[in-house]
Amino acid sequence: MQHPPVLTPEPGAPSQAPATVYKRAAARGAVFQAIQSGASFATVTHAAVAGEEAVLDIRGFDLWYGASRALWSVAMRVPRGKVTALIGPSGCGKSTLLRSVNRLNDLIDGVRVDGDMLLNGDSIYGSGVDVIELRKRIGMVFQKPNPFPMSIFENVVYSLRIDGERDRRVLEEVCEQSLVGAGLWEEVKDRLQDSALRLSGGQQQRLCIARAIAAEPEVLLLDEPCSALDPIATGRIEDLIEELKGSYSILIVTHNMQQASRTSDYTAFMYLGRLVEYGPTRDIFLNPQLAETEDYVSGRFG
Amino acid sequence: MQPAKTPRPRRVRTTSRSVRAAERVARTLISVGGIGTIAAVVLILVFLVSVVQPLASATSLEKPSLLPGSPKGEQPLRVGTDEYGLIGWALRSNGQLEYRDLASGAELERVDLTRGGIPPAASSAWAGGEFALAYPDGSLCLGRADFATSFLDHDKAPESLRALAVGEHAPHGRGRAQRIAAEQWRVQEPSTGQRPIVQLPVGADDPIAVVEATRTTKGFRVAWLTQSGRLSVGVLEERENPMTAELEVEISTFAAPAPTGATPPQRLVLTGLGDSLLACWEDGRALRYDLRRLDDIEISEEVDLLPEPSARISALELLIGRGTLVVGGTDGSLTCWFRIRPPLSSTRDGTRLMPVHALVASGPAITSLAASERSRILVSGTQDGELRVHYVPTNEERASVRPFESAAGPVMALALAPKEDAVLAYGRDSVARLALDVGHPDGSARALFTPLWYEDYSGPEHVWQSSSGSDDFEPKLGLVPLVFGTLKATLFSLLFGVPIALLAAIFTSEFLSPAWRTPIKSAIEMMASLPSVVLGFLAALIFAPFVQNWLPSVLALFFCLPLCLLAGAYLWQFLPARTAIRASGMPRLLAVAACLPFAAVMALSTGPLVERICFGGDATGWLNGSVGSGFPGWFWMLLPLSSALAIFAAAHFGGTWLRRRSASWSRRRCAGFDLLRFVALGLGGAALAALFAALLHAGGLDPRGSVVDTYVQRNALVVGFVMGFTVIPIIYTLAEDALSSVPQALRLASLGAGATPWQTAMRIVVPTAGSGLFSAIMVGLGRAVGETMIVLMATGNTPVMEWNVFNGFRTLSANIAVELPEAARDSTHYRTLFLAALTLFAITFVVNTLAEVVRQRFRKRSYQL
Repeated sequence: MQHPPVLTPEPGAPSQAPATVYKRAAARGAVFQAIQSGASFATVTHAAVAGEEAVLDIRGFDLWYGASRALWSVAMRVPRGKVTALIGPSGCGKSTLLRSVNRLNDLIDGVRVDGDMLLNGDSIYGSGVDVIELRKRIGMVFQKPNPFPMSIFENVVYSLRIDGERDRRVLEEVCEQSLVGAGLWEEVKDRLQDSALRLSGGQQQRLCIARAIAAEPEVLLLDEPCSALDPIATGRIEDLIEELKGSYSILIVTHNMQQASRTSDYTAFMYLGRLVEYGPTRDIFLNPQLAETEDYVSGRFG
Repeated sequence: MQPAKTPRPRRVRTTSRSVRAAERVARTLISVGGIGTIAAVVLILVFLVSVVQPLASATSLEKPSLLPGSPKGEQPLRVGTDEYGLIGWALRSNGQLEYRDLASGAELERVDLTRGGIPPAASSAWAGGEFALAYPDGSLCLGRADFATSFLDHDKAPESLRALAVGEHAPHGRGRAQRIAAEQWRVQEPSTGQRPIVQLPVGADDPIAVVEATRTTKGFRVAWLTQSGRLSVGVLEERENPMTAELEVEISTFAAPAPTGATPPQRLVLTGLGDSLLACWEDGRALRYDLRRLDDIEISEEVDLLPEPSARISALELLIGRGTLVVGGTDGSLTCWFRIRPPLSSTRDGTRLMPVHALVASGPAITSLAASERSRILVSGTQDGELRVHYVPTNEERASVRPFESAAGPVMALALAPKEDAVLAYGRDSVARLALDVGHPDGSARALFTPLWYEDYSGPEHVWQSSSGSDDFEPKLGLVPLVFGTLKATLFSLLFGVPIALLAAIFTSEFLSPAWRTPIKSAIEMMASLPSVVLGFLAALIFAPFVQNWLPSVLALFFCLPLCLLAGAYLWQFLPARTAIRASGMPRLLAVAACLPFAAVMALSTGPLVERICFGGDATGWLNGSVGSGFPGWFWMLLPLSSALAIFAAAHFGGTWLRRRSASWSRRRCAGFDLLRFVALGLGGAALAALFAALLHAGGLDPRGSVVDTYVQRNALVVGFVMGFTVIPIIYTLAEDALSSVPQALRLASLGAGATPWQTAMRIVVPTAGSGLFSAIMVGLGRAVGETMIVLMATGNTPVMEWNVFNGFRTLSANIAVELPEAARDSTHYRTLFLAALTLFAITFVVNTLAEVVRQRFRKRSYQL
């Protein structure tokens, strides 16, 4: 698998827009008005992003649910080994974008896409791409913990099982590594054969993370992983994300501004299917180039 | 101060009266409806139970009424009663036939049957009041103790009779009259029938010692033994002279070999229609003569009717149909004998007289026996005065009583009223009349559910045969063959329907896009609306003959279809990856569909070929066992199993290694290798099957006689296939619901982890929906159990108990439909059919309850997810 070189801006890729144009706009919210009116709009991508090696390169990606357009020319490069957060008000297309990465949206009737994404340089939406093979390279954790109704052990090694792995030693090793990686090993090591449904909600979610990382994914997608959890469990998951940083490239959707600011390295702000502003988390939260982003992260809107 | 704002008056919120009334009416209607439904079901159940319940009732003998003024006398030859048990008769060895009013004990008539004062030298009397008396001079009198029945209406009835209530009876004329309706009286009077005297060809110096006669279809068959030990058989043919209207009797005599023994035999017994003659000695020794060829009478066998050496035969009786001989001994043993056809018999007629039912092993001597004229009820009396009612097929003693006050006296003679409602017992010094309620001895749990040894059968068997053309037929009400038939129908239809329905449900819920799901589901549910009578009609008149005509091809399809689909799948892998993925939607489905006609053509062509090579060109003949050996049958039956074994072994022992090796191979190379492996596994499976088949064949086992055997046009294969169509929609729709209710999150998690839809379905969705699928199958099972029309029309309704796919069967439901219109109300048969209904009800109730319980559990569990 060849990795693309450190990226350089390409022609046609969203360029770095002159930030000042928007920030000094006469009326705050001009960007939103432009978006609502359907006018063309260019994402504001901070220069820092360009310095990162991209694990996932989303190129001018459009998506329609039937007649309604859900994603508008989204272009962003998800850096390798970092945590990238997707934020934005409900219905802005964060989850749609996330699910487009492993093509789970294919399962929904009437979905049509345009544009492409590259996972480590390999096309995701090219014709003839084997979706099954593609999904094996991407891990995903959902909003609600969704362990399979089987034992903890079988949950973790599910991705190996479906690849036909039968070697008990390999399975046990991967199980332990993944559970350690997900910070669950100490709690469940004595009851690996218990049903996963007996775990608490937070434990279940960490189990799902263990299940995802057992497949050694090239990118890990987290779709609001803490929205169904209590604050303590949320804290543990956030710590876990912190630990996974570096070993895994993580793309996380969150509603929680604090979570985004605490856990992520980069943050992308989306609105009505457009990627509005994308940059290092610190910059997005403390020094956004757009007033609308500032309004959103500070809670004045959204 | 500001003027106080008049607040808007608060709206008074009350429930209006009409709403309350509607509420009350609705509540009442719903309660009444709900409770009514439950009550209706319970009532049906109560009704069924109430009809069935008398089957369990015991046989009862009421307290005897002793007739006053009964004469002391010796043992009568035979006693009997009229149809209604009002008048009794007794034939005595001195040639006197007495008729006696059974209410008052008064003698009504006495018929002198002597020949000018000479009493008969030998006599024989049998059921129905018929007797044969042989006089010393060789003349034979055939007659019958009979009754004349006449009816009186209001005008003719005397005053004394008008006072009677309906059912009561009183003496009238020479007999007795009974009021049977408001204005009708029935009079029974003795009327002895006597046929013209026949002269038997015996010499004056050699008088008759023993005589025996029986009625045949054309007249009588008589056997007699002279004092010198000469045994002869005579055939009496009666013909009415068309000119004089007189009865002419023609006798032809045939000599039989003389019975061998120190003394001449004491009894002769003609069994059946006189096709077999037994010469019995008192010690139990008996010779059986084969009378089928009268010009060549031979001794078939010698048997010992009483194994106990010191015992003597004290009573002999033939059950209805004269096929079963009941032997009572002085040792108290009571044994029923009939002829069976053992596989290796040395006798000329291939049959052997066997002791089948030992009703009583030992006890006080059996002194008298009486058999019923309508069933296999037998009444026996003992030396110490006990009277017992037996039911022969179940080997049961149904009731016993001591009719006489003085316990010591023996029961000297017995009669069972023709309607089985009274027993007449002659004691040493009194006559007792006992009212009898037989109940339903042929509907007892033993008769219904255990194998019984019926007459002429070679061993105890479960048999259902409720009716026949003849009156002396033995009804065989074994419910087990019907339950078996129901299970067989259910099993074969589920074997066919369940895989198709479940796979279809998995396909629609897991592989089909939601836009297609609804129309396809509705279409399959429409299948359920096809009336089963139409399906039965199609099965019986179209499909069954088709399968019969094309049997090799139809069977070949079971092998060709999976082979074609698998081969197609392996060939599909040769497509370049891009093409394969682009064509994964509709084109792939079309390719699968294209496999079907291909498989059909292949089956049509290979079927006859395989038939020629393996089954001598005659598959039906092979099934009948007339051609070929068991080897090819075993081979084809074991082929699927051996292939599965080969695949499993290959995956288990080389799967991981192969997966690692092939990871770096190109797609084409993988596909080629897979195809090679498929062919190799197929051949390996065939070799394995051949090996197993050879082993089984060498072990002397033949598949014919097990699940494959003689071919019958209406068979379980046809029914399984067609009934599959009725269970598929039900199982499909419930299974699809169960699969769809598996949370989408699980599906997404599995697919997101890179599982294929098939892996997702098999590893996640199906196990999660498992109990729902189970309950779907159970509901389908309930439907198959209760299905009537298809099995009625397409099974041949033969109540046989064999697993042969190519034979028919009879189910409980079809049996009810066929026989209930013919069953006499409140007869054992009628009640047994209701028991069949109750059994069916119980099976479906249990199955549906099980399904519902599992479904509730499943729902609870799905809340957890």
